[in-house]
Amino acid sequence: MGAECRYEVAQAAYIKLVLHALKHRASPVGGLLVGRLFEDNASTVQIADAIPLTHSQIGLLPSLELALIQVEEHFGAEGFSVVGYYHANERYDDAELGNAAKKIGDHIFRYFPRAALLLLDNNRLEELLKGKERDLVVQLYTRDSSKSWHQAGSDGSSQLTMKGPSANVLLLDYISSEKWQNIVDFDDHLDDISKDWLNPNLFE
Amino acid sequence: MHRIVLKDKSNLLVTNFMSILLKFSPNFKRALQQRMETQLEAMLLEAKGAWADAEKAYACLLEDNPLDQVVHKRKVAMAKAQGNLSAAVDFLNKYLEIFMADHDAWRELAEIYVSLQMYKQAAFCYEELILSQLTVPLYHLAYAEASGLLLTSAHILKVLYTMGGLENLQAAKKYYAATINLTGGKNARALYGVCLCSVAINQLIKGRNKEEKESSELQSLAAEALLKDYKHKSPGKLPVLTTMLKNMKLIS
Repeated sequence: MGAECRYEVAQAAYIKLVLHALKHRASPVGGLLVGRLFEDNASTVQIADAIPLTHSQIGLLPSLELALIQVEEHFGAEGFSVVGYYHANERYDDAELGNAAKKIGDHIFRYFPRAALLLLDNNRLEELLKGKERDLVVQLYTRDSSKSWHQAGSDGSSQLTMKGPSANVLLLDYISSEKWQNIVDFDDHLDDISKDWLNPNLFE
Repeated sequence: MHRIVLKDKSNLLVTNFMSILLKFSPNFKRALQQRMETQLEAMLLEAKGAWADAEKAYACLLEDNPLDQVVHKRKVAMAKAQGNLSAAVDFLNKYLEIFMADHDAWRELAEIYVSLQMYKQAAFCYEELILSQLTVPLYHLAYAEASGLLLTSAHILKVLYTMGGLENLQAAKKYYAATINLTGGKNARALYGVCLCSVAINQLIKGRNKEEKESSELQSLAAEALLKDYKHKSPGKLPVLTTMLKNMKLIS
């Protein structure tokens, strides 16, 4: 089921997740992906936004539970729901989708069977920072009936696309202006509730 | 040269002592220089990623100085950098047998255990931390979250040891409550923690004896405190919070 599904990522979602990873380069980071099925094309999932979640101790669940509840509550009114999870590994040379991320993916899958996991590709990110990368710096994983997560696109098909052109160019611009300093995740919010995990003013 | 090795302020005394020694003892100076050089070399090798050579160098240094904290920690760091978490755990445990008051090391070990989903062991580390530093709220919080996880694992495995789960949840709730006390009720994480624990506990003991039911005062107070905080500092999120607390039956 997941194999034929396509995913279209909005620029805001893509940029937020990369900025989140750049803000906390020495830790694993993760966040929720928010979106919905396209009305006219039910085999495409629109990933409209990314909500940064945490930059430490991915394995501890209370903040995940809280975030899921509050994110669903906030976006439900607009017809969006949690459609996936993004993750960046702590170590540069770790290109594996870890168990913690898979567990979160499994949890989301129960409510949204087309759930997507996006894993940040550290090599591509490195190339991007040098200005040499044209592809998206994330790897897509989907879950099929075998209950395991498979990396998409290994057979050449492009299941993951970006809405709008030259997202990497825009991303580089934000990186050079050190926009990643301003990113707030749910963890930050729990430490200081005046910080907003919606990051409403990030792109101003 | 001193500054690289002796980063800790508490080693200032040692630095001064060593400066005196250096002035008056040429042998000491030579031995120290040699040790410094070896250590720097080892650190350089490590930074370059030449793991095997760095390991050999550190092993050498430890033979001469088995109580060298810096070298012990470099071994752990190297194991982590190579993704060898079980070795890192091993080294850290051995280190903590000698230096059992090293809070950073306990916390580091706990975090590795969490990343390996070994929550019981993580909880043990946080216990050690709490025992040694009873007044620091941060550790209470992390321990509570680690304990709460034991229950979640139970859910996932669908094992019916609810009593075990219940105890852990109740312990977690107590730790969250302690944190609330220590932080004057200002810690959102702890307030949320009490709420989440209460909901999970009540779900577990549904249909059980009324006597075992949790008193609802603590979680109601926590819920009210959260509402007050959000009204004050994060009014935009108040509707979402209110709905959540209502759905959890913590407020009416």
